[in-house]
Parts: sequence; structure tokens; C-alpha cells
Amino acid sequence: MNTDDTNLIKKCCMGETGSFQVLVERYKKSAYHYALAFVGNTDDAYDLSQEAFIHAYRALKRYDGKHSFRSWFFAILSNLCKNALRSRKVRRKFMISDVAVIIEEVPAKSGPVEEYRGKVIKKLIWDALATLDDDAREIIILKHFQDMSYQEIAEIMKIPVGTVMSRLHYARLRLKKQIEVMNK
Amino acid sequence: MNCQQAMILISGKLDGELDPRQEELLDEHLQQCADCRQEYDELLRIKEATNDMRFTDLPDRMWAGYWNGIYNRLERGMGWLLFSLGAIVLLAFGVWNMLESFFMDSSIPVVVRFGVGTLITGAVILLVSIVRERLFLRKHERYDEVQR
Repeated sequence: MNTDDTNLIKKCCMGETGSFQVLVERYKKSAYHYALAFVGNTDDAYDLSQEAFIHAYRALKRYDGKHSFRSWFFAILSNLCKNALRSRKVRRKFMISDVAVIIEEVPAKSGPVEEYRGKVIKKLIWDALATLDDDAREIIILKHFQDMSYQEIAEIMKIPVGTVMSRLHYARLRLKKQIEVMNK
Repeated sequence: MNCQQAMILISGKLDGELDPRQEELLDEHLQQCADCRQEYDELLRIKEATNDMRFTDLPDRMWAGYWNGIYNRLERGMGWLLFSLGAIVLLAFGVWNMLESFFMDSSIPVVVRFGVGTLITGAVILLVSIVRERLFLRKHERYDEVQR
């Protein structure tokens, strides 16, 4: 657990808003990128990540320190994203495929053919990810895009650590299947 | 180790979450089983591809205004809370005065006063019940209602 985060939370509970600002600065980018991968468009991701910080601030006194702040905060963010998708299903369908805006263009070292191939694969993965159910997408984003440990994923998804490996595996199999279907 | 066990451990291997014994057993299995090996290679390719995916960052001005956006929304929340509280106090005072004069007015038939009285009592019970339910949900887990 990040003891620095815990100290900041304690200070914040004593009325030092500046401490919360430090936490926001620390996690804002990963929060935004997580929401972006989840809801698929920049405006909603920006709003949802801010909203998650607001929810966290208001609930800070209820934070018991059993898990890291990061896990606790991402559990809030994750639920907000799921709720947002439920209420904006139609909008998501329109917005989520805009991969060029979301995924950074990284020039391939081995030349334009590889670069093009890389782009196609990224688009396939992105599109396939969008078709998965919320739980499968959540666990893949937490592992592949946030590089969280199984322990952190378990805390966020409120499942036993032992279940993370199998859930992740089945989510990856579904992703692979979707990629194969889309690639035909 | 059979293929079903190996399949689950493949994810652990991809993520570096296996203990040395599990890793050793899985490696042995992968050397002997072409199907599991192929599964591992395919999932590894997906993992490597996602590792190369980087999200486009927001313009600096968006990040510069990020904290202010949160602070303003928190401040506005406090403003709304105080505004609502004041409105409730004033409204309650007005309603109380109105009801007092209504029930004390002997020119209004008793049956009408009784009807209005029961109507108001029912509304208060309903309101208290809803507020209590909301408070209970808030006190326990706010996000429990979200289905996984």
C-alpha cells in the first residue's frame, strides 16, 4: 500500500484540500485513460474521471485503508463507467470505434508495412474489445492497459485473487475469438 | 497437468503471476502439447500488441484545467447543499403557517380538515420511508446495486 497516499488522505480528512489535489495530480492520467478505454470517447472519459474524484472526495471519510487508494478509487471509477455505459448505450455505439483519435500512432521500427500491420491489429483489438461485456472488458483493461497486479484487480472487482487468473483467461479467449471473427 | 489446467495457467504466465513450481509445470506441458503452445503464442501476440497501444494524451490546457474542474464542481455541490437546506427551512416554515391557519379555521368543515390531515400524514410517511431507504443504501455500499 502506498503510505504516501494514506498520509495524504489523512491530511485531506483533516480539511487540507491541497492534499487531495496531490492525489488527483497523481492519478488523473491513469483515471482518464482507464475511462477512455472503458467508454471509448474522450469527452465522457474526461467527465467520468473527474466525477470519480468528486465521488472519492465525498466518500473519503469512509475509506478504511484496507486496500490501496488506487484500488479503492478505481472501483469507484469502474462503477461510474459501467453506469454511464448503461445510460448511454446508443452514444457509445457511435463513439467507441474512433480508434484513430484514441490510440497514439507509434511509428514501427521495421518500416511502413509493419506500421500499417500494427495499425490494423490495433484497430481489430479495439473493435473486438468494444464488443465484450462490461466484466470482460474491465478485467482486460485493468491488466493490459493499466498493468495492475492480480491483487489490485481482485480488490477493484471485489473477487478473490484466485479467480482473477481464470476470469482474465476467459476474457482473453473471448477477445481472441472476436478478433478472429472480425478478421475473416 | 492436463490441458484445462494449463489453459488457466497460461494467463498467469503471460502476466508473470505464476510461482516457480507452476511455471515449471506449465513449461513442461507447453513443450509436449502443441494446442496449448499455439494458444499461448496467440494470447502472447495479443498481449504484445496491447502493450504497444498508447492512448493519445489530452492537450496540456485540458490537464491544466483538470483540478479546477473538480474543485469547482465540489464547491458548487456545497453551494447547492446550502441553497437546498435554506429552501427547505423556508418552505417548511411557510407550510407550517399555512396548515396552522387551515386547521384552526372553523369555517372549513371538519371532514375537509380531516381529509387534508390524513393526506398530509400519508405523504409524510411515504417521504420518511424513501429517505430512510436512501440513507440505508448510502450507509452500506453505494455501488452494490451495480451488477457485475
